[in-house]
Amino acid sequence: MIGAAIDRRKTPGHRWLAVSLLAWAGGALADGDPGVLRRAADLRATPSASAPSLASLPAQASVTRLAGREGAWIQVRTAAGQTGWLHLFDVGSPGAAGGTGSGAGQAASSGLRGLTNLFSRGSGAGGTTVATTTVGIRGLSAEDIANAQPDAAAVARMEGLRQSEAEARAFAASASLKSQTVEALPGPAATGAGPAGGSTP
Amino acid sequence: MTPFMLGRRGLRAALATSLLLAASGAPAQFNALRLLGSVNLGGPATAPSPGGASGGDLLQLLSQSLEQIDEPKEIEIGRQLAAVLLGSKPIHGDMALQAYVNRLGRWISLHSTRPNLPWAFVVIDDDGYNAFAAPGGFVFVTKGLVDRVRDEAELAGILAHEITHVTSKHHLVALRAKAQAGLLTQLVASQLRNNAGGWVSAQMLALGRNLYGSGLDQQDEFDADRNGIVLATRAGFDPYGLAAALQQLRTATPDDPLFALSLSTHPAPQLRLDRIELAMGSRLDGFAGQPPVPLALRLAR
Repeated sequence: MIGAAIDRRKTPGHRWLAVSLLAWAGGALADGDPGVLRRAADLRATPSASAPSLASLPAQASVTRLAGREGAWIQVRTAAGQTGWLHLFDVGSPGAAGGTGSGAGQAASSGLRGLTNLFSRGSGAGGTTVATTTVGIRGLSAEDIANAQPDAAAVARMEGLRQSEAEARAFAASASLKSQTVEALPGPAATGAGPAGGSTP
Repeated sequence: MTPFMLGRRGLRAALATSLLLAASGAPAQFNALRLLGSVNLGGPATAPSPGGASGGDLLQLLSQSLEQIDEPKEIEIGRQLAAVLLGSKPIHGDMALQAYVNRLGRWISLHSTRPNLPWAFVVIDDDGYNAFAAPGGFVFVTKGLVDRVRDEAELAGILAHEITHVTSKHHLVALRAKAQAGLLTQLVASQLRNNAGGWVSAQMLALGRNLYGSGLDQQDEFDADRNGIVLATRAGFDPYGLAAALQQLRTATPDDPLFALSLSTHPAPQLRLDRIELAMGSRLDGFAGQPPVPLALRLAR
């Protein structure tokens, strides 16, 4: 991804270099990810299911993810160059298992797909396939954890970072975050038993 | 900037050396018969233990029944596992970011089933994309994850997922399963040479390394997704934050070393999104639609 080989354990200078490179990489990643429609869907003019349809896109149509998101709706550009909004559950990634779905039916078919695919990939127990390269930037690996030596002093520092309930409430007030009453979502066994009703704010 | 970085490695090296000397003479003592007993390797960096239980005692509890682990002991298990995780990568030096993540996480935790745990959050200095939790209220996110989330709702969704692992005691269940499966015997035997434990027992170190290298039960991950979404929504966030974050994780390939551990220890992101879609439907759409808040806006305060 980034060609430079950086050993991040050396000096603070190296660290900040790595951090600034990362910030750049993160920005690049946020935009332009390729997507594939998992089922046929309408490209909407605004982030709403009732918004005017700009185009009817078939299953497996390619789109490019843009930066915008509002709730379940993400902004995309189509292969034809149109910009609009799709429901995020309708957009998969190229080549992903279950990347395409069947038909326009929303939840029911995708749920079955999830069940049948549960153990077909990604079980990854053991993490033995984790890359162990030391070239370039890599993340915390299973190898790092296998070699970790307990750092008691760091635990004390982490505990020193705690914020009180009062500080958390003051933050929420300043951020206009409000507690809401929300019913639990149905688990796998209960799903399909009809609409859950869900309370409204 | 990094006052706590200074001397950390030096201290650890000295610790490791002295403990290796102490441990190397007695490998035969760590046989299976003693595994569930208290093995105190000693060492200068012992941390105060509010639960008053040594690692060996905690392990013994784990091998029996979760009901016998009271909250102080649960927190002590979490502190020991946190020591293992923080031994793999340092704490990030941006204290404004640390304070923000703690306020955000503490606010979410207040809506959980266990609002009075001593919740502590930390950003670890790592480029990878990952998040972890430990029993008793310890939650970890990598700097690479913080840099990649597009908005606060995505980070809130991830923190709520980790908080749910804690409130549901998923780690204790996993540790207990490992202890009962006899995995402990093999782990400790194979890792003795590397142990510089001190306050953390050889057994807990081995279990912690295994747990965070292999991950939790898949069903526990799905449950933490579903219940974490509700938790984040109760705290006032856009319910689609976690799904949006998983969409991004899905575009990463398993051989991308920044995402490798996260992908190898969790169900495939598309499977998680399938389950989330099935559970959410449009049930939470009435809570959605707030304009996304970039983290930069919060950190600029």
